[in-house]
Amino acid sequence: MTAAAEPHLIERGWSGALSLALRLVLLLALVLIVLQSAIVVQARPQDLITGAKGMADIIRRAIPPDFAEIGKIWWPTLETVDIAIFGTIGGVIMALPLAVLAADNVTPSRLFYYAARGLIGLARSVPDLVWALLFVTAVGLGPFPGALALAVHSVGMLGRLFAETIEHMEMAPIDALALTGARRLQIFTHGVIPSVLPSLTGITLYRFDENLRSSLVLGFVGAGGIGFELLSAMNLFQYRLVSLYLIVTFILVLAAERLSALVRARLA
Amino acid sequence: MLRVCDLTMRYPNRKLALAGFSLTVGAGDLVVVLGGNGSGKTTLLRCVTRMLDPTSGEIWLGDTDLAALSGERLRQARLPLAMIWQQANLVRRRSALANVASGALGRHAGWWTALGGFPPEELRAAYDHLGAVGLAQFAGQRAGTLSGGQAQRVAIARALAQRPQVLLADEPVASLDPEAAHDIMRLLRRLAAEQKLAVLCVLHQVELAYEYADRIVGIRAGRMAFDLPCGEVPRDMVRQLYLNEAA
Repeated sequence: MTAAAEPHLIERGWSGALSLALRLVLLLALVLIVLQSAIVVQARPQDLITGAKGMADIIRRAIPPDFAEIGKIWWPTLETVDIAIFGTIGGVIMALPLAVLAADNVTPSRLFYYAARGLIGLARSVPDLVWALLFVTAVGLGPFPGALALAVHSVGMLGRLFAETIEHMEMAPIDALALTGARRLQIFTHGVIPSVLPSLTGITLYRFDENLRSSLVLGFVGAGGIGFELLSAMNLFQYRLVSLYLIVTFILVLAAERLSALVRARLA
Repeated sequence: MLRVCDLTMRYPNRKLALAGFSLTVGAGDLVVVLGGNGSGKTTLLRCVTRMLDPTSGEIWLGDTDLAALSGERLRQARLPLAMIWQQANLVRRRSALANVASGALGRHAGWWTALGGFPPEELRAAYDHLGAVGLAQFAGQRAGTLSGGQAQRVAIARALAQRPQVLLADEPVASLDPEAAHDIMRLLRRLAAEQKLAVLCVLHQVELAYEYADRIVGIRAGRMAFDLPCGEVPRDMVRQLYLNEAA
């Protein structure tokens, strides 16, 4: 070891000690955060242990699934899928023009930009369950309010991600197209859309996947589909029917996920 | 065909990029602009297209002064002016044919083109333009899968679809290998001669300028250094353009 290296090592030793102290502080902070969250949620692990027997009882009563009732589940299943399809397509139709207005690089004016960002933010910040309750009030029970709720709530996520995709696209081909004399709408359909279509499709499929799961929950507030049937079966203590619906749900979610992954892989 | 008169461009940071620059490019001429980095070559082309607004001066395209126009009137007046860049700037996920046909969009205002389609006659014409640049067999191929040289040829075909009278080229061979660079320059030379295009091309490769240009224009610190027929440009004069940059 050379004399010249010693001060450097001493300095490094100090910074090493500081770094260790900082890590300990961060670790302590993390522990405190976890503890406060456990207090706020009133976590009682002992209840979970004592209540496990009740859960096991329900599971025992749900087995085997009631396959005799399989003929009854086709319609609610179709409803659930169609709520997700309607919600996703409706969301895309509303989100796309908003995203164009909300994308910094193509928006026609700052006024439109802020208005579109505001609407997208509003759609996202109100939970889909609240939208569903609002639409149930407006159009009554059934799958329609659920589909509307998903469409409006989807605008929040789709609008934001679409806008970000447009903002990050390569602008040189768009400028080149503009210089050929193409009009604004032509530039959009011939330049912007083809450039971002794979990303938009991927985002849309991901949203469909989410909407499919959300449509199950929306059924709990009267928006039809499997969710509604699942709640009814639980209220009537028909646990074997509940397990049948859960199996169908599992298959649906898995199928949507696989389909979405396959299409996205092909588009990549 | 293209006449630039007393063009001056001062950027908002007060940097003078062009100072009273004047230039004429006639039909069938291939004029190459040479100059060091930051000499004002690209600013010149950007002012001519009005991607940048010049501080003063005139840009005559035929009988129209582009510098005096804006908005829809500028878009209309600029239609006979096409441009190619260092990168081809194609829409990568569209076919070569669609990219070429998009050069014709400025002439069509119908709902079909607004929805992403092309008139059949423009698709046929685009196929012919691809043939003119030797790429008809790649018509259906995605632009993103073409080589740099092929993509630049498609960009030239797109410019032809615009039915231009003037073609501006901003370092069109800068990112190409030497063979592809010669191919592109030969193509520009041929188009100028056969289609009576006025071609104004910014280059860094002095040898290419000597080989293909009708005239060479030297630019230094935003000012015209010389404007001479190719055969009359001494090598020393060209070297001076770059020596000044190094100093």
